Amino acid sequence: MSEPLLRVENLTMHYTTRAGDVKAVDDVSFTLAQGDSLGLVGESGCGKTSVALTLLRLMPDNAKILRGKVWLGDTELLSLPYEEMRKIRWNRISMIFQAAMNSLNPVYRVGDQIIEALNTHIGVMSIDQARQRVAELFELVGLDPALMDRYPHEFSGGMRQRAVIAMALSCNPDLIIADEPTTALDVIVQDRVLRQLEEVQAKLGMSMIYISHDIAVIAEVSNRIGVMYAGQMAEIADSIEIFERPLHPYTFALMGSFPSIKGKKHALEPLPGEPPNLISPPSGCRFHPRCSRATEQCKNEVPIFRDYGNNHFAACWHPLEV
Amino acid sequence: MATNDQTLVKVENLVKYFPVEGGLFSRVRGQIHAVDDISFEIQQGKSLGLVGESGCGKTTTGKLMVRLYQPTSGTIKIRTAEGTLEDIAFRRGKALKAFRRRVQMIFQDPYESLNPRRTVFDTVAEPLAVQGIGTLIEREEKVADLLALVGLTPPDTFMFRFPHELSGGQRQRVAIARALIVDPVFIAADEPTSMLDVSIRIGVMQLMADLADRFGVSYLYITHDLAVARYMCQDVAVMYLGKMVEKAETEELLAHPLHPYTKALLAATPVPDPRLRRDIINIKGGISKPVDPPPQCRFYERCPIADEFCKNNVHPPLEDKGGGHFVACYKV
Repeated sequence: MSEPLLRVENLTMHYTTRAGDVKAVDDVSFTLAQGDSLGLVGESGCGKTSVALTLLRLMPDNAKILRGKVWLGDTELLSLPYEEMRKIRWNRISMIFQAAMNSLNPVYRVGDQIIEALNTHIGVMSIDQARQRVAELFELVGLDPALMDRYPHEFSGGMRQRAVIAMALSCNPDLIIADEPTTALDVIVQDRVLRQLEEVQAKLGMSMIYISHDIAVIAEVSNRIGVMYAGQMAEIADSIEIFERPLHPYTFALMGSFPSIKGKKHALEPLPGEPPNLISPPSGCRFHPRCSRATEQCKNEVPIFRDYGNNHFAACWHPLEV
Repeated sequence: MATNDQTLVKVENLVKYFPVEGGLFSRVRGQIHAVDDISFEIQQGKSLGLVGESGCGKTTTGKLMVRLYQPTSGTIKIRTAEGTLEDIAFRRGKALKAFRRRVQMIFQDPYESLNPRRTVFDTVAEPLAVQGIGTLIEREEKVADLLALVGLTPPDTFMFRFPHELSGGQRQRVAIARALIVDPVFIAADEPTSMLDVSIRIGVMQLMADLADRFGVSYLYITHDLAVARYMCQDVAVMYLGKMVEKAETEELLAHPLHPYTKALLAATPVPDPRLRRDIINIKGGISKPVDPPPQCRFYERCPIADEFCKNNVHPPLEDKGGGHFVACYKV
């Protein structure tokens, strides 16, 4: 494997609240190779969006990074001066936010909004050049370039989402982080947008991080999957590997609780309990109160995020099938 | 499916239009055909899944069934406690209130559907108060029983909590308890688990399935997710722009979809297994609003197999193609 594009090491981030510190991201490490797509999956509040925001240093004011490094190539992002970090955003890493289609400004033409992004991040170019670039981007995401002078309300949800993707692509980033890019869309439109993203990614050779609670969407678009639970990375491996040989009981439970329209109708297994409060997370392994394999050791000791070979990592004292 | 004494709900030619107003003096400029001439039956203790994309009329159908909306035309017959089928489509006042003991609704968003200023007890007991059932002590007992039943145990610790002290899954259990407290025979459940996290969702789905078995409750289970319908309903109906385009036994529909729209919907549904690849779907464009739609098949504009015949004829009728598999398409 070549030098990874992105290397996250021991990232730990807390939010300060009046009730206490929310331990939202705890000792998360992973790498992402050039051209790969990583899916981060987990329930709401598991820290997947917080990880993404930390990579871009776009956290709210009450967030503090306690530990960790984020390497993009040989640049460490967390220690970068503010102005340098601004140049990284959009040019090298861009992000598609959740419900991003509602983030277009309703009183500006869609094309002009993309031109604004180009001017801000690449530098001022002639209007013809800029419009030429927007037309290319529209074609790339499957929109008719003739639509660039329309307003957002003239677009459907799926079209707006494509426009936002075009905007994220505008500065040719190395990495795009897509946070629930299709959650608000109907299935048929979702299918189109996901295929488009895959196609564009393959064409431009970018890396992607998809964030979703929907393991079915993640399974379709990612070649590597990271499962997060309560602020920690529970397991990470290649997609097929993790489906065929899940090691962490939470991964196994998550997959068993997802209904599918294909294959035999298996009994769905609910997971007992609810995700923990991250102000005072459980001791030891944060999953132990809900885990059927938990022992005294799990209560007392934080499991080590271990390499099980085949580029498969998991943090569990009693992994399945080993 | 012939009507028999097991028929709990019988809907015939149900129509609901919403006027589109605009322009000077809010003139009516057109009608949204939200639900346009649908008919179906639900047998006692069985559940029907209603699937389709947003805007297809599935929620409107649910609200019509419990008479939160009044239909434009059509009949909604529900079996009464005496065993007769009675049309409640245009009932008002006391007669409508009495009927609400038989049917209830569970809403999508448990953060919106519970009053934040009322305790769990107030919320769950409200239908009893509205219907004038029992004394305060009896109501308390009944609420405690139901909270235990929906998995909020011990009930004493939940009775006097407020919604903000509960998680999403717990709130939806409260909403289920509220729906069940008047012992209804029919519940319209509008995406009851779509706001919940995966690990919580299965628990709520199993609870609903379990309650249906125990009390013989039937659901009209409204969902955009065919995979959820597969686990909750014996039968599934697919809606498109106010029309029912296909209806069959659930496994039959998933294995042998006949309508081109159902095929596209199935092909577009992601599968939680990276080893499976789905078919490429070939339908055009996005869904539009059904404002005064042309008389031809609603799916005509997007259909990959439509021809002149489809263009020149009215929307096809929903016909049995054998074994209770109903399809509304000329090309099948």
